[in-house]
Amino acid sequence: MIGLITRRLLQLPLIVGVIYTLTLTLAWAVPGNPIDNPEGRRPPAAVVEAMLRQYNLDSFPRFYLSYLDNATGTKWVRDQVTGRAAERAAAAAEVGQAVPIRRVFDLGPSLQYEDWGVNQIIQDALPVSIALGAMAMLIAVIIGVGAGVVGAVRPNSVADISTLAVALIGISLPSFVVGTTLLLVFSVWLGWFPVGQWGLRGAVLPAITLSLPFAAYIARLTRMGMLEHLGADFIRTARAKGLPESRVVLKHALKNAFLPVLSYMGPATAMAMTGSFVVERVFTVPGIGQHFVNAVLNKDLFLIMGVVLVYSTMLILFNLTVDVLYRWVDPRIE
Amino acid sequence: MGRLFVPIGLLAAIVIAIIATDRPSPRADFTFINRGDVATLDVQKASWMQDLRVIRMLFEGLVKNDVLDSDYTILPGVAERWEISEDGLTYTFHLRADAFWNVHGKPVAVTAHDFAYAWRRGILPDTASDYAGQFHLIRGGRAFYDWRTQQLDEIAAMPSGAARSDRARALWALTELKFNEMVGIRAVDDRTFRVELERPTAYFLDLCAFAVFYPVYPPLVRQYELPDPATGRLDQQPGWTMAETIVCNGPFRLDSWRFKREVRLEKNALYWDRDSIAIDSVSIPSNEDPNAQVLAFKSGAIDWVSDVSTPYRRFIVADKLAYYAEHREQYEELLAQGLDPVEIDRRLPPDPRQNIHTFPAFGTYFLNFNCLPKLVDGRDNPFADPRIRRAFAMSVDKERIATKVRGTGERIANTLIPRNSIAGYESPAGLPYDPDAARKLLAEAGYPGGRGFITVEILFNKDAGHDLIAQAAAKDWQENLGVPVLLAQKEIKVFRNDLKNQNFMISRAGWFGDYGDPTTFLDLNRCDDGNNDRKYCSPRYEELMDRAASETDPAKRMAILADAERLVVEEDLPFIPIFQYVQVYLFDPHKVSGISSHPRQQQDLFRIDMLGDGKGSDIPRGLPPGGGDVKRKPPEQQSAKPAEQSIRSRLRPPDLMICRSANVLLSRAAIGGRA
Repeated sequence: MIGLITRRLLQLPLIVGVIYTLTLTLAWAVPGNPIDNPEGRRPPAAVVEAMLRQYNLDSFPRFYLSYLDNATGTKWVRDQVTGRAAERAAAAAEVGQAVPIRRVFDLGPSLQYEDWGVNQIIQDALPVSIALGAMAMLIAVIIGVGAGVVGAVRPNSVADISTLAVALIGISLPSFVVGTTLLLVFSVWLGWFPVGQWGLRGAVLPAITLSLPFAAYIARLTRMGMLEHLGADFIRTARAKGLPESRVVLKHALKNAFLPVLSYMGPATAMAMTGSFVVERVFTVPGIGQHFVNAVLNKDLFLIMGVVLVYSTMLILFNLTVDVLYRWVDPRIE
Repeated sequence: MGRLFVPIGLLAAIVIAIIATDRPSPRADFTFINRGDVATLDVQKASWMQDLRVIRMLFEGLVKNDVLDSDYTILPGVAERWEISEDGLTYTFHLRADAFWNVHGKPVAVTAHDFAYAWRRGILPDTASDYAGQFHLIRGGRAFYDWRTQQLDEIAAMPSGAARSDRARALWALTELKFNEMVGIRAVDDRTFRVELERPTAYFLDLCAFAVFYPVYPPLVRQYELPDPATGRLDQQPGWTMAETIVCNGPFRLDSWRFKREVRLEKNALYWDRDSIAIDSVSIPSNEDPNAQVLAFKSGAIDWVSDVSTPYRRFIVADKLAYYAEHREQYEELLAQGLDPVEIDRRLPPDPRQNIHTFPAFGTYFLNFNCLPKLVDGRDNPFADPRIRRAFAMSVDKERIATKVRGTGERIANTLIPRNSIAGYESPAGLPYDPDAARKLLAEAGYPGGRGFITVEILFNKDAGHDLIAQAAAKDWQENLGVPVLLAQKEIKVFRNDLKNQNFMISRAGWFGDYGDPTTFLDLNRCDDGNNDRKYCSPRYEELMDRAASETDPAKRMAILADAERLVVEEDLPFIPIFQYVQVYLFDPHKVSGISSHPRQQQDLFRIDMLGDGKGSDIPRGLPPGGGDVKRKPPEQQSAKPAEQSIRSRLRPPDLMICRSANVLLSRAAIGGRA
């Protein structure tokens, strides 16, 4: 186990480095000027040039290295060691100014939202996406496992076929259709949930929308697993012992049928947590999914790189956690 | 079995830990969806309409416009009165004693020095203000900008070393000295602020009402500005605009600003005119999905949707027209009284369709011609010939585009400046739709029946129905002129790049005015204007614009400007005006009052009064009868004597010019989604 953890942690910088290089190369190739607003008055050419220089946006290698330097914290460490940080603080004190805040991992300014740093943006948006993803997975497991068990206990019954049909719809319908419909019915007509407000109540509808495709897949997985195990010898033994049917199904069969679901939950949770641009937009969830798309459209290089770096690091750590957890739940796996 | 539940328990724990601690804020007195998320609240850097709208609530300038007045009269702001010298060059503002900064609950007087500091920020190239150019009207503003830019360039070109860093270190002190020496901005004492202009500028007071000319609180902002010892550049850190730090002097203060979530404002208890404010709190939730915006309004969570941009908005507008048709007699009677359109709605029988409002906006949709002699690919550009441009302009059926393609109540435009939007300005007629005359012109230019004409390409970006407008224009040119037309749809960034590099023949475009003077539109056609994508450059036009600039008689000046516009919309046609933009709003007229229907479309939300909430007078606020279009009045003569007015007297700028701080940007509403 410890070997696994160390190995993965050592791989981490390498993987993130490759992702960083690929993303920056692609993002750099996007046509257009990151300083430009997509619409609006153009600043004078001299101003644009000066800004490009200030942010190292005029040279790929310089940007590549300086951003990495700031984001990984090496610059911060170097400034502390060489005393440049102290020098700056002294310069500020000399003219009676507050010492500028320098972050350890400085992901840079946002070119689109001028008042905000990328650190702040991610700090605000990431917890929202994590909570929404977790809630969606929770709902997906409850609906999916429930539907799967019902279907497996009475295969080809009305209940089985209808859960199957619902699952199919869940997978096929795009989330903007489901989302808008839910919003219309439950928020506008029935008034049960607020519109466009984040919070416990505001999170329910987006979480359900986000969960449906996962729920459908989990239902299929559970049903298959259950059918396989319900015909197995150990179930016959359990029944022969005279155990009540509910105990046979829920304790003996489900325990085994749940394992494939658990292994699916790892990547699925990660996927749910990367946030869905569509769901976030329809329900105006202030999550991180929108930045993946908007930052690229705006060519907001700092935001693109910041989001990608934080996310890839998080996903690698997350996958590691799932693997560790999986081994702990089912010690048979090595 | 127990271990199986651990992952599920973990998920539940995450949900509870994050969501349960994140409580939504209570309902505000007035909740509205802005046309986009606020990018910056930095007064001198802002340029988006949504940013300026919030800034006008948080800060107050020397003067402001009365948006609920058909003349957009100038009202006193921080300045209680002012004098204009006889030559129209020197403005002396007298600041009121009860204008305060709300320094976290403590009142600190707003002084003339604060204005001088803020305006210097606006001029400095280091700030990179989109509106830096507006400050060039002030004596020495341009020269100072150029001097500082040159100094910074020289330092940047020096090899790094002791000499360079010494010079960089010394630059800031020198800059402060130079500013005081070169620029005509002077804080005479704490309450007297004097500005000298390069030349008499009739709309200068209106510019002072523009948000970029608002003050900032120097003790705060200075902490975020540090001359970089290596380059001499003033390193401006963001952060002072956050709710915890910001210091405001306007009708509201910033209570909280959660990124992409909500901006929340509370009434400023230290504001001098606080008694006129009829709402205590304003909430601006972030909501970028056009459909969700409409649904949020329908659920009752939102009082005003400031920019309805759903694909089905034309059907919403059609609903409103159907409603008027049902009550035709009563409606026409009210209309004849010249009532504000919102007031008309209040007097008609209640109906949910009343919540839809369409107002003409201060902007025009047009198609650009590339006027250069050669295209980017080296071919000869037929559109360098004004006859061909005129022929193309006269063969577009604008009526069909306005009614069939757009269908949200747009009026067709034959001029660049929206008709009747600027008092004292008489718009030229422009060219009519006349395919026969167009064919003749084309034949005259050497292409009878369109024979031999190169394949025309229309460049546009792939949003907001530009494709449909391009298709309609293409069909007209093919049928009326017999020329082959191709549509070139591009991604917005590519589109912008092509525009900038003149890599197009014809492209879609639009422009919104900033202030109440024809030059806010006409400057677009100056040879060296940064937004002249057409590369139109006419000595005659330059001469007219220069003459207008030096003309001191307001009426004569307006006439010269009208001549200049006549040149571009009747003879040279560097663009084809198509229609005047409209603004589609959703709000309940029986609940919300104070939203202006004036064609300038600036909304000052501190004027909002929610009807029936027991706060404020609860008497509907709106344009007086006869509003809507600006009244046509001959401009008054500039007074020879210095005009001195008492507090609260409604001052009128010398030539009735009205200004507004609308933003320059091609509005998202009208053109459609950003991106």
